Amino acid sequence: MLLSLAPSALPIGIHGIEKRFGAVSILSDLSLDVAAGEFLTLLGPSGSGKTTLLMILAGFVRANAGSVKVGGEEIITMPPHKRNIGMVFQNYALFPHMNVFHNVAFPLKQRRVSAADTRERVAKALDLVRLQGLGERRVDQLSGGQRQRVALARAIVFEPRIVLMDEPLSALDKGLREHMQIELRTLHRRLGMTTVYVTHDQREAITMSDRIAVMNAGRIEQIDQPEALYARPKTKFVAGFIGESNFIPVECRNGSVWYEDRKLRMNDPAPSAGRHLMVVRPETLRLVTDAEQAGALNMLPAIVGDVIYQGDSFICYATLQDGRQVTLRDYCRSDVLAKLPAPGEPITLGIDAQDIVLVADQ
Amino acid sequence: MSIGSVSLDRAGRPDAVLNADALRADARRQALGLLALLSPGLFLVFAVIIVPIGWLFWLSLFDQTGQLSLANYARFFEQASYIRTFATTFKVAFAVTGASVLFGYPLAYMLSQLPRRAASICLIFVILPFWTSVLVRTYAWLVILQRRGLVNSWLIDLGVIGQPLPLANNFAGVVIGMTHIMLPFLVLPLYASMKTIDVDCLRAGMNLGASPAATFRQIFFPLSQPGLASGVVIVFVLCLGFFVTPALMGGGKVIMWAMRIEQATSLYSNWGAGAALGVVLLAVTLALLGLFQWLLGARATGVWSSR
Amino acid sequence: MTKGFCIHGPAIAGLLASVAVPASAADTITVASWGGTYQEAQTKAFFDPTAKELGITIKQDTTNGLDDVRLQVTGNAVKWDITELGADECARGSKEGLFEKLDYNVIDKSGINPKLVHDDWVGISYTSVVLIYRTDVFGDKGPKSWADFWDVEKFPGRRALSGSQATETLSVAALAKGTPIDKVYPVDIDGALQSVDKVRGHIDAWWTSGAQAMQLVKDGEVDMASIWNGRAGTLRKEGAPVSFSFDQGVLTADCMVIPKGSKNKDLAMKALAKFVSPDLQANLPLYVDNGPANEKAFETGKIPQERIKDINSAPENVKKQVLQDPEFWRDNLVEATEKFNNLIQQ
Repeated sequence: MLLSLAPSALPIGIHGIEKRFGAVSILSDLSLDVAAGEFLTLLGPSGSGKTTLLMILAGFVRANAGSVKVGGEEIITMPPHKRNIGMVFQNYALFPHMNVFHNVAFPLKQRRVSAADTRERVAKALDLVRLQGLGERRVDQLSGGQRQRVALARAIVFEPRIVLMDEPLSALDKGLREHMQIELRTLHRRLGMTTVYVTHDQREAITMSDRIAVMNAGRIEQIDQPEALYARPKTKFVAGFIGESNFIPVECRNGSVWYEDRKLRMNDPAPSAGRHLMVVRPETLRLVTDAEQAGALNMLPAIVGDVIYQGDSFICYATLQDGRQVTLRDYCRSDVLAKLPAPGEPITLGIDAQDIVLVADQ
Repeated sequence: MSIGSVSLDRAGRPDAVLNADALRADARRQALGLLALLSPGLFLVFAVIIVPIGWLFWLSLFDQTGQLSLANYARFFEQASYIRTFATTFKVAFAVTGASVLFGYPLAYMLSQLPRRAASICLIFVILPFWTSVLVRTYAWLVILQRRGLVNSWLIDLGVIGQPLPLANNFAGVVIGMTHIMLPFLVLPLYASMKTIDVDCLRAGMNLGASPAATFRQIFFPLSQPGLASGVVIVFVLCLGFFVTPALMGGGKVIMWAMRIEQATSLYSNWGAGAALGVVLLAVTLALLGLFQWLLGARATGVWSSR
Repeated sequence: MTKGFCIHGPAIAGLLASVAVPASAADTITVASWGGTYQEAQTKAFFDPTAKELGITIKQDTTNGLDDVRLQVTGNAVKWDITELGADECARGSKEGLFEKLDYNVIDKSGINPKLVHDDWVGISYTSVVLIYRTDVFGDKGPKSWADFWDVEKFPGRRALSGSQATETLSVAALAKGTPIDKVYPVDIDGALQSVDKVRGHIDAWWTSGAQAMQLVKDGEVDMASIWNGRAGTLRKEGAPVSFSFDQGVLTADCMVIPKGSKNKDLAMKALAKFVSPDLQANLPLYVDNGPANEKAFETGKIPQERIKDINSAPENVKKQVLQDPEFWRDNLVEATEKFNNLIQQ
C-alpha cells in the first residue's frame, strides 16, 4: 500500500556518540532512544550539537565513536544513500534544475520504481502536502511554504521508516510557521513515521513533539514530554530555555526550604541541604488580595515596579525583599483587574506549594 | 508640473486623474535620466564594437583595385585551402575545448571541494600562467615536447619508447599548447558556478537514495552546467581566433584562420582580403553561438532560468 | 657647420663632419628596418656613419614590411623617410605607387646589380636561402644539393622548409628537380609545385620565421632544413653541429625605398646614397652575414679576404646561387602562394 497510514515505524537507538572537530568536542557520550513512531524534538541553542547529531543520523557527518541502530540494525558506518531515511533540510535543498514532480520523484527514480507507480505515488505525496496539480511548476515559481511542502513530500514519498527534519520551518514567516507546525503534526499522526526534529524554537518544540530532548553544549540536559519539561525542569538551563522563569535563590536545611527567613512549603520532597534555585513561572505567581486565599499559598512580600496591560493579560514586575526582580503574569479577569496594584504599592505574591520546583544553582 | 495639474483639477477633472500628467512627466524624466546615464556605455559599445566591425565589413567589399566587389569572398570558395583552414580551425577549437573540459572539469571540481584557504592558494596556480606571455609558454612547451625535448628524452631514457613521439610541430602539439593556455578560461567560470551549488542539495540527493556517482550525475553536473557552458563558449571562441600557439607549435602544418588572415593581408595588397576572412569567421562563430544557445535553451527547462 | 654647407653635398659635409653640431629637427630622418641583430649591424654599418657624415640625426623604427608602408601612405601618415623591404615587396609597392622616385644623380648606382636598380627602389643587401644539415646526424656526408634534400631514401631524416616564403621554397623546389641555376627564373610554377608535392609528405615542419627555422635545427627537431644564411651563420657561431654552403643557394635581395609623402625626401635621398655607397656597404659584412648589394664593396679592401668567402654576395659565391627575380614574383606571387598554401595544407 502506498503511503500507508501506519507503516511499520522503527525505533532508533543512539548510544555513546562522540564527535570532536579537532580539539573541540561537539557531542560527548550522547545516548538517546527514540521509540517507533515517536515525534522527538532536539531542542537547544545554536552550537548545542543538535544539528550535528542529526547529520550523524543521516550519515553526512562521521562520529568519532558511538552507535546508531535503526530497528536493531547498526547503521553508523552505512553510507547515506543506503540508510533509507527521509530528511527535510533547513533551506529545503530542492533541486533547482528539476520541476516539482521530478523533485518528488527523485527518490523513487533512485529506487527504480516504475513510471506508473512513480506518477501515482508522487501524486499522492503532493496530495498529502496539499500541492495537487503543481507538479509541472518550476521550483523558483513556488512560495516559501510551497517549497517547504515539496521538500516534505520528497522526504516521505519513498516511505522511509524515519524522517529527520532540520529546522524545516525556520525560513517561514510566523503565521505560516504556526500553520505548518500543525500540518506537520497532523501528517505525522497520519503516517506514523519515527521523526527526529531539530529546532531552537521552544514553542515549536512544545507544540509538535511527543518528547523533547533539550540539548546544551553537546549533552542532553533533559528528555521528557513537553508538559513535564515545562512543569518540572530538572536544570536551570532547561527552566531558562523553555518558557519564562523567575529564579529565586533558596536554601534547604533539614528537609525544609527557606527563602530569606521564610519557610516554604512544597509538594515535592525537598533536598536535604544546600543552596538551590526555586523556579517560578510568571503565571504561577499570584497577587494575594484576601487572607482566606492566602492560607494555602507560600507568601512573598514585594513592591510593584510596573504593570503592563496586554489586553488578554497583564504583566506585573515586582521587587522582592532581597531586591530581586520577579515577573508575574495573569489573565485580565474583571475581579483581578479591579484590584490591580499601582507602581510603588506593596503587594504579597503567592505560590502554590505544588508549583514549586527546585533546580541546582550552578 | 504640480501647478499644471492643480489647475487641471480646478478645470473639473475627476479624482482618478489627480496629478496623472505630472506623474507621467515624472516617469518620462526618469527614463530620460536613465538613458543619459547609459549613454557613455552605449557610446563606447558603438565606438569600439559597432564601428570597427562595420568598417571591417565595409573594407571586405573592396578588391585590390578599390572596386566594390565580392572577390574577397569568392576566393573563399574557389580555393580549397581556405575550406581546409576553416575545417582545421574548428577541429582545433573542438579538440582544445574538449581537452580543456577533460582536464578543467576535474580541476574545478577539486578546487570547489577544497577548504576556502587551500582553494584560493590553488587558484593562484591556475591563474599564474596568465601572468606569463603566451609566447613564452608556447616556447616552453616546444622545449618540453619536441623530438629531443624533455618528455621524449625521459621516455626514451626510461625505455618506455624507442622512437620519439611526435608531440610538437603537429596537431597534437597545437592542442597541448593551446589547452594549457585555455584551461584557466574554463576553470574560472566553472569554479565560480560550482561554488554556488548548495551542499545540502548534494546531501539531499544522497539522502534520497542516490549513490555518490548518481548524485554527481543527476545533481552536481547539471547544476554546474551554466559555468561549464560559459567556459566552453569562452574557450571555443578564443580558440577560433588563436594565432601564436598554432603558428609556433603547428610546424606550419596546422594552419588556423587567424594565420590565414595574416597571410591574406600581406599577400593581397588590400585590407579587404583579410577583412573578408574576419567577417566569415565572425559570422560562422555567431551562427554557432546562436545554435549553442538554442540547443541549451531548448533542453534546459530549469537550469538557465532558475539561476 | 651650417645647413647651407650641408646642401652642397656629401663630400663637403664629410670633410666637415668632425666639426658637426647637433642637428635641428629638420635634419632628422627616420629609417625603418627589420629590427634585431640585422638592424643593429645596419646601425653600425650605415646609419651611424651617415648621420655623422651628413650631420643629421637618424631615428630608427622597425617594420613588418609592405603592409606598414601601404598603411602609412594610403592613410596619409608617413612616419618613415626610408624603409627596408624585401625586393619582391619593393616590386609590388612600386606597382602600387607607394614610393617616391629615386634620384640617381644623388645615388650612385654603379656596382649594384641592374635587376635591383629601379625608378623608386634600390637594393641594399642580400640574404641567401641555403641548405643546412646537422653534422651529428650525417657527419660530412649530408645533403649537398636540393636534389639530395628531396631524396628521402638516401638521406633519411626529418626535414623543414619555409612555409611562409612560397617564393623561396618554389625556387628551391625548381632546383631540386634538376633545373640549372640560370634556368630557374622564370620559375615554372606548376613544375615547382609538383616538385614540392613529391617531398611534402616528408616535411616535418614548415617554418614561418627565421627564428623558428633556427630553433628547429638547433634543437634537433629536424635534421636538415632550408634556412637563411644569417641564421645558419649564427648557428655555426654558437657551435651547433651544422654544415651549410652557398651551393644552390637562393639569393634574395632586400631593398630600400622612400615612402611616398616622406617629409624629408631630399635628405633621405642623400642618406640612401650613403647607405648604398661601396664604402658603407663594405661595413655590413663586418657585423652581419647579409652581403652587400653593391659589389664594389669588395674592392674597397675593407673586408678581410678570409671573410669574403663567407659572404653570400661575394662574386665567387654569387655564381653558385640563383638570384630571385623580384619582378617575376611581383606578377606571380599571389597565384603561386595560394597554390603553394593549397598544396602544403593537404
